[in-house]
Amino acid sequence: MRVLAVARNTFREAVRDKVLYVLLLFAAAAIFGSKALGWISIGQDIKIVKDLSLAAVSVFGVLIAIFVGTNLVYKEIDKRTIYTILCRPMHRWEFILGKYLGLAALLALVTAVMAAVAAVYVVVLGGSLDVTFFQAVLLIYGQLLLITALAVLLSAVTSPILGAIIVFSTYVVGHATSIFTELPPQFDGTFSKRVLEAVYYIIPNLSNFDIRAEAANGVPVAPGYVLWAMAYGAVYTAVLLIIASLAFQDKDV
Amino acid sequence: MDAIATRNLTKVYRGHIGRGAVKSLDRLTLTIAPNEVFGFLGRNGAGKTTTIKILCSLLRATTGEAFVMGQDTRRRATRKHIGYLPENPYFYEYLNPRETLDFYGELHGLTRAERAAEWDRLAGLLDLRDIAGQRVRGFSKGMRQRLGFAVALVGDPEVLILDEPMSGLDPLGRRMIRELILLLHGQGKTIFFSSHVLGDVEQICSRVGILVKGKLTTQGRLDELLNRRVNRVEIIATGLSEAAAAAVAARSDGVRESEQGRHFFVNDLDGANAVASDILQSGGTLVEFTPIRESLEEYFMREQETVS
Ligand SMILES: Nc1ncnc2c1ncn2[C@@H]1O[C@H](COP(=O)(O)OP(=O)(O)OP(=O)(O)O)[C@@H](O)[C@H]1O
Ligand SMILES: [Mg+2]
Repeated sequence: MRVLAVARNTFREAVRDKVLYVLLLFAAAAIFGSKALGWISIGQDIKIVKDLSLAAVSVFGVLIAIFVGTNLVYKEIDKRTIYTILCRPMHRWEFILGKYLGLAALLALVTAVMAAVAAVYVVVLGGSLDVTFFQAVLLIYGQLLLITALAVLLSAVTSPILGAIIVFSTYVVGHATSIFTELPPQFDGTFSKRVLEAVYYIIPNLSNFDIRAEAANGVPVAPGYVLWAMAYGAVYTAVLLIIASLAFQDKDV
Repeated sequence: MDAIATRNLTKVYRGHIGRGAVKSLDRLTLTIAPNEVFGFLGRNGAGKTTTIKILCSLLRATTGEAFVMGQDTRRRATRKHIGYLPENPYFYEYLNPRETLDFYGELHGLTRAERAAEWDRLAGLLDLRDIAGQRVRGFSKGMRQRLGFAVALVGDPEVLILDEPMSGLDPLGRRMIRELILLLHGQGKTIFFSSHVLGDVEQICSRVGILVKGKLTTQGRLDELLNRRVNRVEIIATGLSEAAAAAVAARSDGVRESEQGRHFFVNDLDGANAVASDILQSGGTLVEFTPIRESLEEYFMREQETVS
């Protein structure tokens, strides 16, 4: 199948990217290093290790999605490998979807590896794992799927640098969307407020995917919530991929 | 039905910052019949690649339309009929030829068994077996071009669109491509290729089109195009007396002497025949009678001048 052929190659290529391994090393360092911060609060170290490891999985997952994702389509145009692909009897959206799925598969693997390292480390330190830990990992992946869709969209329409800046800003702002609704009163009725409100509605609320605190403290999270958050991500992802396909449809390559 | 047809194809590249828009293709109307070998000529920047990329739907024409096998090139299904070899083809560097052909076979919608059969066919045709397991990364220009040709032929399309298939190849490589084009012609394929190597075109094309600064200035059969402008004849004779030679020279448009004998140049065929019979009647010997046809190169050069 055409989409899968593209996805498979994208995966194969991304696995060879050295950036991936550098980032994975940093992620491992962050996970193991989290213990060092445990001394601040004696008796709390397992909590802190869980919290910081999950943060590392999220941040490094996002960095990989950004570094690889914002290059995906751009590189194919830049290196002209796209000529012999798009002249085949395939839809352009199939190409976009294939690129996306290839990276999504890679991120699934990467997230699983990082989470496994973190999980083993927690157990080695004498902690225990509960279902919330794994729910947290799942939501981190859900967020990565969304971020990756944005990265792929940008890679089809702009340069990797600009794309990376936009995706990273979205990640940061997306985790702090409450600042838009909690504006100081002097903003009331101003144009800036309306712009910021518009941004609030466009930018995904990424804190929906963040149940790190619950995972660290072993507080159960309802499966219904996890499902809802994943669905929220899926809708955003689908919309982003549709926009990417439309933007790419008539693009000169 | 035409194998390839374009109607008023125009492409204006949007200008980058600090640069105006460029009209690279200006109302190009072309038709190529099935099984034709069509040479698409033009200098650097004439718009050859632009045309080809529109045919392969990599670019959108600003106005006008293009058809391959009677179907609009913007439709996905049309591309089943097209095999495209880009100018300097690029492939994934980490794949080997076998994996590369498999990938394109899959994009073409071939089953696993069909892809294996395609590999056997194309590896034989393009001599890929020796390099089947080698990564594309280390390939020379010639190897890349062979692989590119194989990729273009995946799925056995009826129409082949080749962008400068012979550029950068050594004489042997060029011959291989020429022979391949003739072989494909023999199989009933339509071949559209761009080039600025006129010798190659002259050898294998039945029709040519000449593009000058985005405009098609000529389109036609090679023999017709060039025949129209022939008819300078060179006659070499020996054994003529001085007086006879002077008489013949008076009826010629140019004279020269060499070790071979006296050369007479006549600018039309009838006149040349009269001169030849004069030579024979005055007891001379006819050594050579050569109608000099205009070469494609001369024609091409003149074509460039008329536009600029
Ligand atoms: N992406 C682009 N943006 C702007 N202008 C372009 C672009 N691609 C090509 N051009 C311009 O269009 C014109 C035609 O280019 P094209 O590549 O079609 O020529 P060509 O006949 O294939 O030349 P060559 O023999 O050098 O390959 C040139 O003037 C070129 O500068
Ligand atoms: Mg060109």
